[in-house]
Formats: sequence, C-alpha cells, structure tokens
Amino acid sequence: MTAQGDQGSRGVAPNDYEDFPPGRIFRHHWGRTITGADAILFSTQTHQAQPAQFNAHYAAMSGLPGRPVSELLTFSVVLGLTVEDLSESGGPFLGADDITFTRPVFEGDTLYATSVVSERRPSGSRRGWGVVRWRTIGTNQRGEPVLSYSRASLVRRRDPEETS
Amino acid sequence: MSLTGSDRFFEDYARGDTFEHRRGHTVAAADNQMLSLLTMNTAQTHFNADSMTGYLGGQFAAPLLNACVALALAAGLTSEDMTENALADLGYPSFRMPAPLFVGDTIYAASEVLSTDEPPARDDAGVLRYRITARKTDGTLVVDTERRALIKRRVPWQSRHEELAARVHGTAVRLLDNAPDRTGKESP
Repeated sequence: MTAQGDQGSRGVAPNDYEDFPPGRIFRHHWGRTITGADAILFSTQTHQAQPAQFNAHYAAMSGLPGRPVSELLTFSVVLGLTVEDLSESGGPFLGADDITFTRPVFEGDTLYATSVVSERRPSGSRRGWGVVRWRTIGTNQRGEPVLSYSRASLVRRRDPEETS
Repeated sequence: MSLTGSDRFFEDYARGDTFEHRRGHTVAAADNQMLSLLTMNTAQTHFNADSMTGYLGGQFAAPLLNACVALALAAGLTSEDMTENALADLGYPSFRMPAPLFVGDTIYAASEVLSTDEPPARDDAGVLRYRITARKTDGTLVVDTERRALIKRRVPWQSRHEELAARVHGTAVRLLDNAPDRTGKESP
C-alpha cells in the first residue's frame, strides 16, 4: 500500500493554480447545521471561558435570544467548507485577514460558504507553486452574511514553466 | 468570585495593559483530528499521518495542527482574563501562524490591549481590541493575531450579575452558613 498523499491519484481532484482565475466564484459544498453539541464541544475543548456560550441562564440574563455559538467555531466551519475547493492540496496556512463577524450564530443555524478568487501570483520562493488569495463570505440558512474574511495559500501549478 | 470576575468589565481594560495568561495547552491528537473533522475541514494534512510523506517533499514528519484550531486555542487561553464578559466576538483583523504546531507542542498565550476607544454599536458595552501572541515553550511564536470583542460595561451589567448570583447561590450559601461543621468554625 502506498501513500495516497495529496497526489490526487484517485477520487476528487484538487484544484490547481490554473483553476483560480481572479473573479472565479465558488459555491462551496455541503453546508453545516450547528448543533448544541458542536457548540459545547468546541467551546469547552478550546478553553472559551465565556459563559454566554455554555450557560443558557447567563445568556438569557445577558439579553441574548439563545446561547451564541463561538465565533471561532463559525470561522472554523466556514473555512472548513471551503477547503476541498480552495486549498486541499495547498501549502501550510499563510494567514487570514479582515475576519469580521457580522451577525451572531445560534444553535440550529446552518452555515454555508461562498468564495471569490481575489488575486494570484507565482511563488517567488517555490518553483512550481503560486499564491492564491480568496475572499470568503459565510451565510446562514436565510442567506444573511455572518462572517467574511480573506486568506491566501500556496497552490500547486500544473505547468511549472508558466510565469504568470 | 462570582459568576464572572468582578474586574473583567470593559472599564477594567486600558491601552497598553499586558497579560501573561496562566494556563497553557498541550496539543493533543484529538484536538487536531476531532476538531478538524467536526468543522468539515477536508485537508488530510490534519488527520492522515501517512499523507505527510507525499506532502511538500515530506518536509513535515507529522500532521500540521489546523490553523483554525490553533487560533481558537490561543484566543481561548486569553478568554478568562480578556473576554469572560463578552457579548460577541467582532473579528480578527489579522491572523498569522509564523510557525506550525504539532501534537505534543505546548503553548502559552499573552495579550496586550491595543485600543478601547472604538465607537461601539451599543451603550452598555465597549469594543476591546487586543493583540494575542501564543508561543511554544521554547519561545517560538506560533499565533499572532488581533481580536476585537464587545465587552459588557460595569453599568448596567455588574448589578445584574450580582442579582443572578444571589438567586442561584443564595439558598446554598444560607444552608452552608448555618451548618454546624463548616470549615474553620467550631461547633457550638
């Protein structure tokens, strides 16, 4: 048995640099309903010491209509939903910018992710790779934006000799 | 101590305040695999050790910790001191991981208040903007981010917290206070 690695040798083939012309829009797969179990597991396992996230009594006293889901869970799920299309064969995480939460998420809400290619350039240091930047918006089941951010990743090139 | 710390309202933070947060976190295999899969992340660099031999020439010997999980752990380690009374997380204007994290690494987090003068959307809370840095025990910087969070103001929230605490703890305190064998007091 050999390592399948990220060779794309079977099943869904990852997108390459050439598949990311600026302006291309991706409507990402699946969607994800956030349950109370997801929210409690994530908040407690990542030390979120914010009682609004795990104490319904405190959340109600605070005037909230329910226990808010950790925004970091929202970010993780929305980014997770983008990975197969955008960065599954990419390099290590390079960073994210302008992560902005525009609306709270509560138990029972369903998250979706949509992205656009904002820019790309060949990698200066890694032959055969490029850097692609995307802007992503996370929406709920009503289509209301709950989150937006921008991130970049190293992406493999099909043709390492091309220079643009 | 009450429901939350009495010194963790918006008024308690000032630009330039620094914090070295007390607890650390050793990255467990479950942190990476369970939380990556829980959050629909399909990059097998987070959950397939075998795939690492074919990834970037095999330069990483083990799966890389999901950056979203790294961010959550770093922010979480700051949360009791910084955002215990948060009504909402507003955003992270920048987030970098200058070095990767692996299972077995231990991180500690530190915070520095950058601003408290951003106009908030509501008058019972303020916007706390602070920088979070997380380092491994050897000092390597692994998470560098800024966070903006909406924190309750002391007025009107502290008295509401005290009312709630009186309600939920009151009966037990009265029972314990009348008990003959309470610690540190002699029975009559």
